[in-house]
Amino acid sequence: MPRHITIGLITLGVGFAVALGFFVDVVGRVQSLMKNDHESAENPFKAPAKPLYAPTDPPLNVKIFFPAESGDPILAAEDQTIFKSGELGNRAKQILQKLQEGPHADKMFPSLPKDTKVQDLFISEQGTAFIDFSDAIATNHPGGVLNELATIYSIVDSLTYNLPEIKQVKILIGGVEKETLAGHCLLLLPLDMDLSITNVMPREEKTALLR
Amino acid sequence: MKKTRIAVLVAALSAAVFISSGLIRAADTNFPIYFPDSKLVVKADVMNRTVYLPLREIVGHMALPYTDSISLETLTIRSGNNRLVVTRNSSLISYNDQIIVLPSPMLRDNDRWLAPIEFLTLGLTRLTGMEFRYRSGASRIFAGNVAAPELEMNAQTLGPITRLTIRCAVPINLVARRDDPTKAILSIDRAPLDPARERFDHRDRLLHSVAFDDSDGESKIVLDIVREVSEVRVTPADNNKVFFVDLLRAGELVTAAPPAAEPPVAAARPDVLPAERKVRVIVIDPGHGGMDTGARTPAAAEKDLTLALARKLRTALQTRLGATVLLTRDSDITLDNEARSAVANNNQANLLISLHAGYSANKTESGSSVFVMKEDFGDTFAPAAVARDQLFLPWYLGYRMHRGGSTAAATILQQELAKGVPGWNFPIRTGRLAVLSSATMPALLLEIGNLNNTTIMQALMDNGFQTRLVSAIVDAVQHFSESPQAAAN
Repeated sequence: MPRHITIGLITLGVGFAVALGFFVDVVGRVQSLMKNDHESAENPFKAPAKPLYAPTDPPLNVKIFFPAESGDPILAAEDQTIFKSGELGNRAKQILQKLQEGPHADKMFPSLPKDTKVQDLFISEQGTAFIDFSDAIATNHPGGVLNELATIYSIVDSLTYNLPEIKQVKILIGGVEKETLAGHCLLLLPLDMDLSITNVMPREEKTALLR
Repeated sequence: MKKTRIAVLVAALSAAVFISSGLIRAADTNFPIYFPDSKLVVKADVMNRTVYLPLREIVGHMALPYTDSISLETLTIRSGNNRLVVTRNSSLISYNDQIIVLPSPMLRDNDRWLAPIEFLTLGLTRLTGMEFRYRSGASRIFAGNVAAPELEMNAQTLGPITRLTIRCAVPINLVARRDDPTKAILSIDRAPLDPARERFDHRDRLLHSVAFDDSDGESKIVLDIVREVSEVRVTPADNNKVFFVDLLRAGELVTAAPPAAEPPVAAARPDVLPAERKVRVIVIDPGHGGMDTGARTPAAAEKDLTLALARKLRTALQTRLGATVLLTRDSDITLDNEARSAVANNNQANLLISLHAGYSANKTESGSSVFVMKEDFGDTFAPAAVARDQLFLPWYLGYRMHRGGSTAAATILQQELAKGVPGWNFPIRTGRLAVLSSATMPALLLEIGNLNNTTIMQALMDNGFQTRLVSAIVDAVQHFSESPQAAAN
């Protein structure tokens, strides 16, 4: 074999070995990076590390909306108590927890389908609460237009009625935007409070009546 | 040795080509600019995903004086006392010594000044006060207050024919021409037009794609069709604002179509249908379908129930009212809500009825309702669009035009159902329902029963009950057809 070809082949071999070394190193780093991401992404799914309220927080009476037995109005309010934690997000999470637990009264029905979890919650400066539910809210939903409206507005009304800082609610499912929850009700735009389907009056009207 | 050199050279060349093709894609496209009293067609270059326009041609057409300084590599454009200076390869331009930043740099190539398209609005508008309107992805610009009526194109397969519906905000003239067996050209006597979509693929057995083309300043629609298309039939409607372009296949005369396909053929000539009846075309939407079963119990699924009811309703409406009835689905397929309302919109339907069955956690509840769209839905999101009465609205605001008609239809349906199916209660409710939001005709959603209630479910599966229910709906459609709210589209 001529000498220059041998030298060329050796250079190529060395170059290849160096490149392989870099490649293995980069793959290792990317993998370790992904592992870290994965772990940190896992955290919100587990029980929150921090409690949603402090022992010193004062109690706050709230109305949680659930589908009513009579069917008219669609939603009825149940009085429950949460704790007035400093962070708005934590108050919202407590309300969603109450929704997940379901009603205590007999004449009401749970509004969230089985195994529904709140994966994440974020409240924008404009007062739009973005709530990311697990896929179960759609896959375990039994269907029906009225039933779907009840599920959606039990969430929207419970949050907007009790926490006036929240003006609108945007529901995400499994981390993404979905057109509808069970095929009927549009979720693409944020939802406003709608008390016309509940047995509760808007706050302004109530105060006006008291005066 | 020589071979190695050649190999290295080839490798380097191909690498260079690979890299440059990713960075720069130079393509010449004709780009018409419509001025209020004239039009200018320029050649645009697309480089690095930015559209570049030849600046001197545009400035020349607008009769603005300019100085091209080769030594300074600048171009100065004047208008009155104002001055705009651009520099080669720089994205900074100076307007009366005030610096404006462009998203892409100015280029100068073989004596041609190329300006990114944003230069028109950021630079020229300031200098001359003339507004430039450009729809991203479109290859045309409207300057000043030039009127550009909106144009909408939709294609649909209707049995043996393929129908293209063209809708324009103003009356137009449309002439079909076929120079090439695989191309049909529809020339429109009006320019400029502002199409909602530049082009789209349809891909059925007659039509492949539809594209709007005004690269020479004349508006036309180019249809990519198959050779077998024997006739391109143009039917104007609504004072030449709407055109139905039907593609017919050789050997398959419409009269020889199988009986099952007759209703769509009747829909092909809406102008020959009796004109006195206001509700001529009714679209029934059987809820859910395919993978989406809707509400379900071990005995029945909502998707099957709605389809069975929809077929019965179709037969009853056709025989009793002689109306053209179309189903959004006539088999067990998955459809999204937009596709459902599109069937009604594209066929100029006068009424859309979406059929659903309910489900309630409460076994004792009857669960039925008549739904119409919530009246203020979308107000806070598109106030500008709501205020202006325009042909193109955000898709979810389509319901607005006929919300009054929808409510009237719901009230009539509620009354007829109370007579026809005694003991059942159908309250009228509102909601932000996806299938109704983009329907541009009176539209309602009928939710029947609660599948979680065994008695109600048995009634729903019963043939006699279905017949009574269908009969009540037909009565309601007939009454609605005679009511003043039934708007003839």
